Amino acid sequence: MNDKDVQRREALGTDRRQEISLLERRALLKLGFAITGVFLGGSVLSLVSERRADAAGAPAIGGYPYNPHYTMVIRERHCIDCELCKEACVKTNGVPAYGYRTTILEKRRALEEGKFETTFMPVLCNHCNKPPCVRVCPTTATWKDKTTGIVGIYRPSLCIGCKTCMTACPYNARYFNEERRTIDKCDFCFASRLSKGEKTTACAAACPADVRVFGNLADPGDRVYRLLHAPETMIWVLRPETGAVPNVFYVNT
Amino acid sequence: MRIWLEMSIFAMALLLQPLSHAADKGGNQAGEPYDEDTYGPQAPTVWVKPVKSVIFEHRVHTMDAGLDCGSCHDDLFEMSSGAAAEKDDFTMAAIYKGKYCGSCHDGSTVYNANTRCTTCHIGVRGHQRLERAQAEKGRAK
Repeated sequence: MNDKDVQRREALGTDRRQEISLLERRALLKLGFAITGVFLGGSVLSLVSERRADAAGAPAIGGYPYNPHYTMVIRERHCIDCELCKEACVKTNGVPAYGYRTTILEKRRALEEGKFETTFMPVLCNHCNKPPCVRVCPTTATWKDKTTGIVGIYRPSLCIGCKTCMTACPYNARYFNEERRTIDKCDFCFASRLSKGEKTTACAAACPADVRVFGNLADPGDRVYRLLHAPETMIWVLRPETGAVPNVFYVNT
Repeated sequence: MRIWLEMSIFAMALLLQPLSHAADKGGNQAGEPYDEDTYGPQAPTVWVKPVKSVIFEHRVHTMDAGLDCGSCHDDLFEMSSGAAAEKDDFTMAAIYKGKYCGSCHDGSTVYNANTRCTTCHIGVRGHQRLERAQAEKGRAK
């Protein structure tokens, strides 16, 4: 944006945002902003983060290479950290106390003195379309399944416990299982439930607040599809900048 | 300029000192000490049933909001601590229908119980933090 552009923009009157050219709008969209209004006598542009900006990791139609394309949608603001999901996961998948397949993180924003606004953030393996953990495995013990898209340690006998995948994972979703001497991680309950005919994961089934919604993103009738394609929905993923193309999405609807 | 700023911050800290003392004893901003006979137990109530962990503070409701004991006891809540958790209907669904907390947290009297979840639902993490803080307080005494 050069000085001339700035001058022209400053000359715009209040709420004459239609006068902002298509080209300029597009330039702002590329930066991840949407134009909402022109305030303060036209001298200040109001920009908000663009909803559904691709940069934030929202799923794109046609971008689901698997069927079923297993996905989890986290309705974040409903989470109350009761940790029934964690308990169910531990019980279902035999997770030891020193590790986790899923956990709850906490964000605390300071308000007035001594008061906080708390948001709980469930996290688990994002079953990325471009999983950095798979790329670094020196023995091909772990890969992304070609039909389900689930990232798992499918040949644990090959795992040498080098923990390179733990380092590569942007989501800290892997731990070293001392008893089995291999890496362990979330497999969307494929071994313990999905392969036995269950339709959802243990954590999603246990959640009393309907925070975790599990389903098939490739099916337009599925709830995860509807949640992620509802108009005006703000969708975000964790660490989009890593380019891993995760399949765990966060919404506040 | 800088020295004036520092001096004024120092002066403000001095002014605020008596207030923070009152807050240490659980009192309000006016310096009134917390009286458990008037305002109920000072230690927060934490429910772990039917879900972990939900906090209730008498101070916020009595000393700060001006309710008296009879506002909630014994109609909405029995006096004995944790009695509500033994009831089958101590659920969000019942609260939305105006039972328990929902008697006031209905969206018109005060904010609705189906908003601002984490104000009361401090969760497992919040409960652990609270217990740590209380243990530290106990050690300091």
